[in-house]
Amino acid sequence: MGLPISHLLLVTGLVLMLIGMWGVLVHRNILRIIIGFSLFGTGTHIVIVATGYVTGGTAPIIDAALPAGAAGARAVDPIPSALVVTAIVIGFSVTAVMLSYAIRLYAARKTLSIDAFTEQKW
Amino acid sequence: MVEGLLQPLNIFLLGLGGGFLIPLLHRLSKRLPATAFWVSLAGMTLVSGVCLWRLLGGADAFEIRTAGTAPPLAISLRLGLAEGFFAFCVNLAALLGAWQLWPRLRDSYTFLLLFLILVMGINGMIMTRDLFNLFVFLEIVSIGTYGLFGLGQTPAAVAGAFKYIMATVLASSFFLLGAALLYHVTGTLSIDEMVMRRDLIAGPVGLTALVLVLSCLIVELKPFPANGWGLDVYETAPAGVAALVSVGVSAGVFFALFKLMPLFAAHLTLIAFSAAVTFLLSNLVGLRQTNVQRMLGCSSIAQMALLVLALALLLRQGADDALALVVGGLFFSHLFAKAGLFWLAGAVRRERIRDWNVLAAGPSFLLVFCCLLVAIAGLPPFPGFWAKWELVLRLAREGGYAWIAVVLMGSLLEAAYLFRWFGRAIKAGRRDTGGPLSHGRLFPAAACVALLVMGGGVAASAAGITSLWVYTPLAAGGLLVAAEGLPGRAKCGLMLLAVAVLGVWMAQGTGGINGLFATLLLSGGLVIAAAGLYRRDARPGYYPLMAVLLLSIVALLRASTSLEFFFAWELVTLASFFMLALAPAARGVVLQYLLFSLASAFVLLVGLAVAASATGTTSLSSFLAAGPVAAPAFVLIALGCMVKIGVIGVHVWLPAAYARADDDFSAMLSAVVGKVAVFGLFMAAYLATRAEAGLELARIVGWIGMLTTVVAALLALQQADMKRMLAYSSLSQTGYIVTAVALISHLGWVTALYLVANHLMVKGILFLAAAAVIERTGLRRLEACGGLARRMPLTFSVAVIALVSMSGLPPLAGFGGKWLLLSAMMERGWYGPLALGILATLVGLLYMVRFGHAVFLGPLKPERGAVREAPAALLVPQFVLVAGILLLSFFTKLFMDPVSAAIDPQFASTLVWQGMSLELIYAYWNPARAMAGAVGLALVGAVVLWLSYRIGRRPSQSGGLARFFRYYRPLLAPVLASHAERFWDAVSVVFGAAAGAARRVYGGNGQTYAIQVLAYVLVLYFFVVAYPLLQSR
Repeated sequence: MGLPISHLLLVTGLVLMLIGMWGVLVHRNILRIIIGFSLFGTGTHIVIVATGYVTGGTAPIIDAALPAGAAGARAVDPIPSALVVTAIVIGFSVTAVMLSYAIRLYAARKTLSIDAFTEQKW
Repeated sequence: MVEGLLQPLNIFLLGLGGGFLIPLLHRLSKRLPATAFWVSLAGMTLVSGVCLWRLLGGADAFEIRTAGTAPPLAISLRLGLAEGFFAFCVNLAALLGAWQLWPRLRDSYTFLLLFLILVMGINGMIMTRDLFNLFVFLEIVSIGTYGLFGLGQTPAAVAGAFKYIMATVLASSFFLLGAALLYHVTGTLSIDEMVMRRDLIAGPVGLTALVLVLSCLIVELKPFPANGWGLDVYETAPAGVAALVSVGVSAGVFFALFKLMPLFAAHLTLIAFSAAVTFLLSNLVGLRQTNVQRMLGCSSIAQMALLVLALALLLRQGADDALALVVGGLFFSHLFAKAGLFWLAGAVRRERIRDWNVLAAGPSFLLVFCCLLVAIAGLPPFPGFWAKWELVLRLAREGGYAWIAVVLMGSLLEAAYLFRWFGRAIKAGRRDTGGPLSHGRLFPAAACVALLVMGGGVAASAAGITSLWVYTPLAAGGLLVAAEGLPGRAKCGLMLLAVAVLGVWMAQGTGGINGLFATLLLSGGLVIAAAGLYRRDARPGYYPLMAVLLLSIVALLRASTSLEFFFAWELVTLASFFMLALAPAARGVVLQYLLFSLASAFVLLVGLAVAASATGTTSLSSFLAAGPVAAPAFVLIALGCMVKIGVIGVHVWLPAAYARADDDFSAMLSAVVGKVAVFGLFMAAYLATRAEAGLELARIVGWIGMLTTVVAALLALQQADMKRMLAYSSLSQTGYIVTAVALISHLGWVTALYLVANHLMVKGILFLAAAAVIERTGLRRLEACGGLARRMPLTFSVAVIALVSMSGLPPLAGFGGKWLLLSAMMERGWYGPLALGILATLVGLLYMVRFGHAVFLGPLKPERGAVREAPAALLVPQFVLVAGILLLSFFTKLFMDPVSAAIDPQFASTLVWQGMSLELIYAYWNPARAMAGAVGLALVGAVVLWLSYRIGRRPSQSGGLARFFRYYRPLLAPVLASHAERFWDAVSVVFGAAAGAARRVYGGNGQTYAIQVLAYVLVLYFFVVAYPLLQSR
């Protein structure tokens, strides 16, 4: 029988999230931190898609193979996927903004170590 | 057509459309983007304003369904009253903010675009009814914010922005995950449907989802300690951007939280607790900030936490009807006051608090600055004041005293650092602020003040202010501000006229003790204020404030509800604070004065709230009918008033303030303003008469009063500065009054009122005499004067009359009052206080002799040969007061009959008084016996002291009164050591150290901040998911 694919996806997504979080919290290099954020985002996306999976379900396209009446039971929930598409776009732009800040940070201090940017404190 | 244009959906069309058009228009012409920007922004504001107007007119909430389908299949937006109010306020602030930021904003069309998108996103967060759509708008707002941070060019600004991005991206990722999981368990994204199906949100997945959404919103509001990233951008971002984040973005997030609150109904206490921690600790950390914007950031975080706290607590106790006033008022106050202060900080361009010197920036700047500070501190007449009043009242009704303590403690801390900033800013600094600020730069902040004043009016009527006369003091002050261009004496004349006319008008219809106090304080106030004519200079601000002060006192006495009373009380505090701040010498002590005054006001507020919840109404007359439940109210009101009176232990602010104020204002403070608190004590005593416990507590108050009398007299005896000596003497005399009030008997109260009248006139005369001496000789030290009786005979004679009257020797007015008091104490068996009273008589005689001797007798210093008599403007008020003393002394009945009549109805039959006429009382009590006893003992004491001095001094030294006093200095050294001052210094050190320790969590590293955010989420997770599980095991 084996594991349902959604469980595999869930585990993969959660592991990716943890790796991403690890990267954000442990690596000192700003670029690595940004990669951590990307991984974390991707993991989130996979988890969300996985929550919409219906075991044995088909693509939610109502046609001859999937009459409207049966869609509720047999089709995969399309909404999480739709959400993830939006989230990917947003994640993309956030990553772009972060990278542009990384460039400006590097220009300011000639380093990408996050420890170099702590003069504002207390 | 117009109807269609003014639909809420057009806010988004304008925001997005304008945003997309700007880059295109930029290709056509360099000027077009600016036009498109202003049209879009003004259009958004207009649309939201018109919609709000229609909603206020009773229209139904606007429901917008996108894609022509009902939710949950499509996104829906709603613009109801709450949404309309938030959206309009934010748009208005954004419009003003764009004006302020314009010089930087116009540099690049990208910033125009980002600004528009950001504002549109906030509107979206407020209006959307779809959880995922909320996430999208949150991200739009975030990206707009990240982009605008790019306006800051310094490395610190870039680094601050990056830390902010790290924390908020983490938070919004949690929100996304939480929203998707909530969809998973409820099957809908529509917030309304989700609320209906909230029972489904259970189990580990549902609760985890809930925690993720909740923690994102709380983290976006910057909770302590996971808020270092917020403080960093507040410090480093351009002021206009910081303002937008502080008020706009926070408003959007707060509204999202408000919208989702039904989902979190089971966790309101947790939310309130987290907000309380943030409110207290952010304000604590604010104490140690040296950077203006960072300090404003602390205040901003604290204010948002206060909003969340109020929201959670009111929802928890089901007081939804109070939300509009409390949350709306606090929000409005924060929005415009904080934005205005940020904009001022941006206009002044001085990062460090110590570099601020607003005196150079012009009077209109100073006015706007003060108004904004008052508004943010939650003081009248601004909306925050009414909101806090209602909040405290509601909390007291449910017994939430710990929460009240948090709210008031945090507010006090906030006032401490904001007004410390004010104190620094009005000191003449080394650097000026670059001359007066242009009106264009000042406009946005000034507009905020105007909006706050209007909002204050609306909030006041919502809080239950129905009569317009309570605004008379402010209106009079405002009118006199308009006459500021006139010469000083003309302004003084105008002020006296205004106060006389309006004061008499307001005092009409006040009866009983109120009427007596009103007559006494209004006439005394006018006479002493008239002494201001001796100054020729313009004294900017002094006379309008004097009008506010005196009329507020009358308003306080006319008040029929505790809200009116407290409003007037706070106005008295504020007016006297700002008048004190006008004296350059007093600027070092104004903060102390304000903090003690506010602390007293807050204790009083709780007392009034307790009384209101015990009687179920704010009507002051119902206080008399309150039963024993009012005992805590008595304690609190009495405590508040005693702090304001300055009884021993909390007296440290008083001598400093009285001694350093303008010379004629010292007279006003001591003679008139100090009596306001005495009146409050009378009010507390009403409550005490109704409770058995109250009478026991009154005994304690009596002790405190006599201790104050003795210690203050000892302190007065050893002061070198004549005004300081008079200040302590004033405190000492007020101690007698406190004890007299605490006797809670007819005799005690007649005595108290008698002493009030006597003290008013005596201290008025003595402080004005000191003012005359300082005016003519420039001397303040007692030992430097001497022999002035020959040069200033009139001043000398009025001072002697005042001293005799104060000492209580016959035949003047003081005779009777004090001795009756001693007799009454004897009768009640208060032997301890009685002994203190006799000791005080001795010390009082000594310091009065010392004052009269040091200033007026002895040899005249040769260089003072040309000193002239005091100016007539000072002498005439003194003569009037002397006439008052003589009247009081020789026509006692004139005063006593109304006093007796005023007090009679206040008393229950259980009390001592049974309707004896005053002559009978005098005959029965005969003050002469008590006086003979007390003065006899005092004289014996004095003789003993003199003999021991004669024996103890070295033979080589000659005698003399000055030497006699110097001989006893070491004896008084233990008192001189002033434990109270050391105690309060220690308190301030402890708070400073605590603030220093608390801010250590802000290490400055973005990664640490990310860990803190994560930890915060985990802690919330623990309390929402794990802790209940563990408990159920």
